[in-house]
Amino acid sequence: MAELLAEVVVVGLIAGGIYGLFAVGTVLVYRGSRVLNFAQGEIGMMSLFLAWYLVTERGLPWIVGAVAALAVAAAVGWGFERLVVRRMVAAPRVAVSVATVGLGLLILATELRLNGENPRSLAGPISGRGWEIAGVIVSPTQILALVVTLAVGVGFATLLRRTDFGLGVLAAAQDANMARLVGVPLGRVSGFVWAAGAAVTTLGALLIAPTVQAFAPGAFGRLFLFGLAAAIIGGLTSLPGAFVGGVVVGLFEAGAGRVFAEATFPGLETLSIFVLMLLSLLFRPEGLLARSGGRRPA
Amino acid sequence: MNAVFARPGLRCVVVGVVALAAAPLLGRAGVLNDYRAVLIGEAIALAAAGLSLNLLMGHAGQISLGHGALLGVGAFTTGALTPATELGLPFVVAVPAAAIAGALVAFVIGVPALRLRGLYLAVVTIAFSYAMFESIFAAEQVGGGSAGIALPRPQVNTFLFSKEVDYLAILIGLFALLWLVDTNVTRTKIGRAFRAVRSDEAVAASFGVDVTRYKLLAFALSGAMAGIAGVMVGHLKLTVSSSVFGYERSLLLVVVVVVGGLGSRVGVLVAAAFYAFYPIAMPELFGAGVRGYDVIIGAALLVITMARNPGGLAGTIREQLEERRAGRERLADAAASGTDDADGSALPKLPNMPRPASLAGRPEAHGNAPVLEAKDVTVRFGGLVAVADASLTVPQGRIVGLIGPNGAGKTTLFNAISGLEVPESGRVHLLGHDVSNLGAAARCARGLGRTFQNIGLVKDLSVTDNLLLAQHTVAPYGIPAALGYAGSTGSVEDELHERAATAISGLGFERYANTPVGKLSIGQQRIVELGCVLVTAPELVMLDEPSAGMSPAAAENLAERLRDLRDELGRTVLLIEHNVPLVLDTCDELYVMAGGVIVANGAPDDVVRDPVVVDAYLGGALT
Repeated sequence: MAELLAEVVVVGLIAGGIYGLFAVGTVLVYRGSRVLNFAQGEIGMMSLFLAWYLVTERGLPWIVGAVAALAVAAAVGWGFERLVVRRMVAAPRVAVSVATVGLGLLILATELRLNGENPRSLAGPISGRGWEIAGVIVSPTQILALVVTLAVGVGFATLLRRTDFGLGVLAAAQDANMARLVGVPLGRVSGFVWAAGAAVTTLGALLIAPTVQAFAPGAFGRLFLFGLAAAIIGGLTSLPGAFVGGVVVGLFEAGAGRVFAEATFPGLETLSIFVLMLLSLLFRPEGLLARSGGRRPA
Repeated sequence: MNAVFARPGLRCVVVGVVALAAAPLLGRAGVLNDYRAVLIGEAIALAAAGLSLNLLMGHAGQISLGHGALLGVGAFTTGALTPATELGLPFVVAVPAAAIAGALVAFVIGVPALRLRGLYLAVVTIAFSYAMFESIFAAEQVGGGSAGIALPRPQVNTFLFSKEVDYLAILIGLFALLWLVDTNVTRTKIGRAFRAVRSDEAVAASFGVDVTRYKLLAFALSGAMAGIAGVMVGHLKLTVSSSVFGYERSLLLVVVVVVGGLGSRVGVLVAAAFYAFYPIAMPELFGAGVRGYDVIIGAALLVITMARNPGGLAGTIREQLEERRAGRERLADAAASGTDDADGSALPKLPNMPRPASLAGRPEAHGNAPVLEAKDVTVRFGGLVAVADASLTVPQGRIVGLIGPNGAGKTTLFNAISGLEVPESGRVHLLGHDVSNLGAAARCARGLGRTFQNIGLVKDLSVTDNLLLAQHTVAPYGIPAALGYAGSTGSVEDELHERAATAISGLGFERYANTPVGKLSIGQQRIVELGCVLVTAPELVMLDEPSAGMSPAAAENLAERLRDLRDELGRTVLLIEHNVPLVLDTCDELYVMAGGVIVANGAPDDVVRDPVVVDAYLGGALT
């Protein structure tokens, strides 16, 4: 029993860290613009294809591919903010979110046009067989993923709390007009969160690529969904909440996978995450880490 | 013939029946071959799915990114009922069963998501989509695993609809049914409530629309339509598996609805036809190289439409047409009157609206109880006491004023009386009935009408639509009746339109009847808002700073109109106002609030000389 639990914890943490990273991307954009960026998963996927092309096909070092992927993702996020989100300041937030659905589909359809359904793969930055922890083989990349996830989380939390720019991001989310009046450079703040959200998601995609082994267009939709679930469980506005949500989702997925290992019914992990999301909205709509009750702002 | 086509319901039925009969006839005449029939069938099934999402997104403004999975619910419901290996039930049973299943599933996932404002429905429906695709639909027991399940063609008595052209007739019939339901939604209070919720939830609530209930209704109704669309597509394909109802299908539906114009039935049909024909017809004509561009174009259009006009293409076109028409009329008016003055000539009058006769009844007044009696109302926001033990009485046929400095708690007291704020203690009696436990919508239905400081109108709806929406609570027909446009629905709607038209001509706003309210001046908007209150013939008219934003001339006119309201229309008015001459000119009695407390009450001339009042206003008497 204890062995089983340890295995679930290890598997859950490894995946959960990545979901947490996806959730951080979602939360950043939501805090800065009150919009859910549904294109995030596809931006990550697209950048991953670039990394695959540079590293696997052209034989360039991993770090080159990774930096190029991150740069392109940030550019797409920033560009979308520039061209679309900024024009829609007065539009309902729902409309902006629908526009991100369009962006995601545009990227997906373009990937399918260029790549078809062919599966691709990208090795991790560190080779080596890894270590066995609680009966699970943990690769160096997976350890790296956990470290990077934590570092990114702490980094963003510090940035938001300790710098004027970060406080500007928080203020913009509270009341854009008021923030503008006190001198927050709204354009830069908004551009930053969209670029950062896309880059963080891409980082997660790069780190999980060796674990999922092969990826094809649309394959990250499900992983991004788990990140979204993590963000919702964490309360949608909280960075620590996003991480906790990610870990909860990871543990839940691993637990469900273990418990239902013998079941012939397919996809019970995904089903259980869906149920978890509904329960979280019903009973903790303000997020796991929220201190007081009350609904979060829409 | 014209009489038939003037009535949208009848038009739907006639067109539906003609198209339905045409398919088998054309097929037998050799004009329509099976291949084309399948292609047209695909377009119609996609359009049916589009209509279901359009109801939710286009009308009610809520997003579902998992509508493909709701189609799946319908398809696998019929999969559990119709095949001979399963229950072997007839097709006519499967259709309503799929509709019910779709509505139920939508309801269950809608409850947690729609209680909260914002984007939660979008998130939950993505999760729903993946959960269905990977789990429930992929299961051997439900979706037959990777092989899928076989769905037989419908059979009626001994006639099997095995020919594609014959099944096409069924598809057309079901599509016409969905079209009819959608038409009925848009032309009744349901559609107006949806549009109000889409534009502004707070304003919708102030018109007496139960926002959460209508959002759930929109999703459940949309789920029922999706269920039927799922049946249509399932029996068309003959075999369905989980992969037919994945996330991509949901996204394609969003594209169909948005590119189709968000809210436009014809637009949805055209867009669906494009997306059904393109993947088959285009590569045939131009080679395999053009494959996939339809989705790329659609996705790009989706982004562009949202960025340029979130109201959708249909909204843009309607707006342009409206603007052109309004411009022409202005020119014609100017030519006729010789001036270009649109506002100065005729000052608006208030419409004399009778109490709605055939419309929802109101409880009679208790004897000669005052119209409004608020007793010891206390409202607290956290540690701040906004209103403390405030009591006021408004007798029948009087204009009672409520004045006081900014922040005195006047609007909060208004909110407590109209039911938007729940007071900590105190009772509110309307016509002698205790309404303290009723919500804002119920108080509205009992004859309490009010305006708002920041104008409670739906800005992107026309003056007529706002006046119709204002009568939401007095339209007595039920939702099932409205969906079928059955029972009293038609006659009630006629009466609502008549009342709206009377109100508009009473206000002298004929030329603005179809103008979006947001395009009018603030003063004009206040008049329209007043019209919206009066159109339901309320027992008590509560006005929150009606003269704010009006020119002095318009305010003077307002004073006259308020006296008309009392003297000619016999209405009772409670008025918050800062314009002291207006108050002295109109009110029979005044209450003065300061710091949440009622500090004075009496005849206007006495009250304004009261040292307590002077002190409250000026911070110390001038000596």
